[in-house]
Amino acid sequence: MSDSSSMMLIGIGGGGSAIARGVRRAFGEGLRFLTIDTDAATAADGDEFLLIGGDRLSGRGSGGDVVAARLAAEDSIDSLDPEMEGVRLAVIVTSLGGGTGGGATLETVKRLDSLGIPSIVFATTPFTFEGEDRQRSARGVMAMIEEAAGATFFVPLDKLVGNAERFDDAMRRAVDTMASAVTLFWRLVEKPGYLRLDAERIRHLVAKAGRGRFAAVSSQGPERARDIGDMLTRAPLLTTGSGPVRAILCGVLAGDDLRLSEIGTISESVRSAFGNQATSFELATVNDEDTFSGRISTVLLLFEANTKDDSGESPGGVIANKRKKRVSKPLGVGPQGRGRFNNAEPTIWNNEDLDIPTFLRRGINLDI
Amino acid sequence: MSNFYAALEIGTTRTVLAIGETETGGRLKMTCHAEIPSTGVRKSQILDINQATSSIKSVLSAIEKKQLEAGSKITLGNAYLVVSGQHIKAGPFQGMVPIEGAKVGTEELDAVFRSSRTMQIPKDREFLDIVDQDYEVDSLRGITAPRGMSGRILKLNTLQIHADKNRIDDARTAADAAKLEIREPLFAATCAAEAVLEEHEKRNGVLVLDIGGGSTGYAVYSDGHLATTGVVGVGGDHVTNDIAHAFQTTNAQAEQLKTESASAIIGTPGETRVKVPGSSPLMESRTISRRALDTVVNARLRELFAVIRETLEDQDLLNRLHAGAVLTGGGAAMRDIDALVQRELGMPTRTGKPIHVDGLDGEKNPASFAAMAGAIIYASRNDDDKSSILSGLIGRFFT
Repeated sequence: MSDSSSMMLIGIGGGGSAIARGVRRAFGEGLRFLTIDTDAATAADGDEFLLIGGDRLSGRGSGGDVVAARLAAEDSIDSLDPEMEGVRLAVIVTSLGGGTGGGATLETVKRLDSLGIPSIVFATTPFTFEGEDRQRSARGVMAMIEEAAGATFFVPLDKLVGNAERFDDAMRRAVDTMASAVTLFWRLVEKPGYLRLDAERIRHLVAKAGRGRFAAVSSQGPERARDIGDMLTRAPLLTTGSGPVRAILCGVLAGDDLRLSEIGTISESVRSAFGNQATSFELATVNDEDTFSGRISTVLLLFEANTKDDSGESPGGVIANKRKKRVSKPLGVGPQGRGRFNNAEPTIWNNEDLDIPTFLRRGINLDI
Repeated sequence: MSNFYAALEIGTTRTVLAIGETETGGRLKMTCHAEIPSTGVRKSQILDINQATSSIKSVLSAIEKKQLEAGSKITLGNAYLVVSGQHIKAGPFQGMVPIEGAKVGTEELDAVFRSSRTMQIPKDREFLDIVDQDYEVDSLRGITAPRGMSGRILKLNTLQIHADKNRIDDARTAADAAKLEIREPLFAATCAAEAVLEEHEKRNGVLVLDIGGGSTGYAVYSDGHLATTGVVGVGGDHVTNDIAHAFQTTNAQAEQLKTESASAIIGTPGETRVKVPGSSPLMESRTISRRALDTVVNARLRELFAVIRETLEDQDLLNRLHAGAVLTGGGAAMRDIDALVQRELGMPTRTGKPIHVDGLDGEKNPASFAAMAGAIIYASRNDDDKSSILSGLIGRFFT
């Protein structure tokens, strides 16, 4: 494991928290994990749970009100800071369109950005049948999340679950599919393989990556590599995007029987399907016999042409002054000379107490 | 009937109360002011509320007396408070909203304004001002009128100026005890800038240095808007303290040396020795080296301007100040200080006499009233849609 404490999974709202718990169940020990919600009742055993807006909503949830959730997040977002000790990359799973996910995700991402922690956001967007209001709500917040997050993967629930018969089946399938994909992503980063991708490399890749698409597929049998290639080529989540693919991250996870030719097959399929305009192709592998014996799983992240600039700004919040002050050594002048400023708050600049006479601190000789 | 406005400053060296009036034709005039030396204030912060209250009562009484002499009776009920001090901070904050209909309309403009006013500050801080700077639509910056523009995201850049609430409350408490209600606290440096700058200077880039007794405020304008502002906790009192320490004088002697004999530039023509009068009838006067005196003053002021220069360099603003620097505050009266600023910051420098408020022509150092004049300008704008401060003036009788 590269550094299990440097990457944290954050589930926001009911949907996001369910996905995060799914990842935790699948991944097992070693996952740094936090759920954030306005509803105290949703906290599950074993959760590291952050209740937001307790004063405002009394822990009873936002009732599907995005504005209430956003205000709740604004009230409580400071509480996130101590949880982020040592975290260098945050992976957020959430569900947009209404309630806590729709309201609190932006505030969370902005806070992380202000703390210098890039975030990867995996967010589902509402089913078409949920109506235009929820779609518009999601679209509005998506643009702003994009501005503050490192990388964003917005997943329309229609495309994620296909033609499920029942709503609860559809939601369960959505949660399971998202959890599986994120789990694979997590294993890719945390379990070292021959072609290694660690958290720092991911952090660098996603720092200003912008919008992307992703899919995760698995297959077994003698033609498993070819099947993987075919499934990725046809995956509905990958084939519809808003721009050309700029960068590709392909993770291949398998047991000890993974052959080089299989890696080549998958790699070639991905390149030929999505790599025409890509300027970067990162391939990583994980060999984990216990988890993947006999099968190959592949998680594919496609980053679209970047709309972000390189101004270094921190959008959507207080813009930190990132330039460091020059610091000189203190001159060792004591409190003498503070005179009338003895009881006043000192003025310190570059480690010097400016209330002490300048000529003293500079060692200027006066021929009086 | 004219509108009247009152502004109070409890500064490190003096407490000032000024009355402004909108004259026929719309020009503002500082019709009356009173000032006394402050006691119980250090580095722009009140250390003794009782003494501050006493100072406020004194200037209130002086104002009423002057008004009576001028043929009118006035009882002030409230005033704007001009504040400075290194507890004042400013930082950028960006309001941001999606553009729903692909073009910026009233809804987006209202929403981004509201979004820009959502910055949270600690409970012990208090906003002094939120200044709109410019808009952005997607990656296009520097927009002044975004209505009708196409894009996905509208942003409003603002500068949020806030202060230590406890320090402001101390001033309120002192004023309350003097039966003077504080309307709003206003930041001295930006008030001064409003009083002394022309619009073309703001467009071309200009620095205002408001050199007070306990601190120096700065305000930088670029492209027509306030780009940054802040306070360095060094002012004219530091020069006085340095002189007192260097030449073993009292503060009063040092103040006199500073204002009457010292130059900010070493080696200017003049006497080579400077007389230091005795601090009491029993003490004989003596002389000190003029060059040594100037060296002490020069070292202090060069350091102050180096702090300003470094601050502006860090924000990539120094090279954008094509209209130069303007000096206000009591410290602007120090001899040759404009030449030193010009040399240290590398830009043309002038002293900032209030140009948008009349009534200061007879003053020895009108630049020292710039912040008060700016507060009166602010008050007049703020009261345009409200009843004038006359509602707070409990009775004004012409006799």
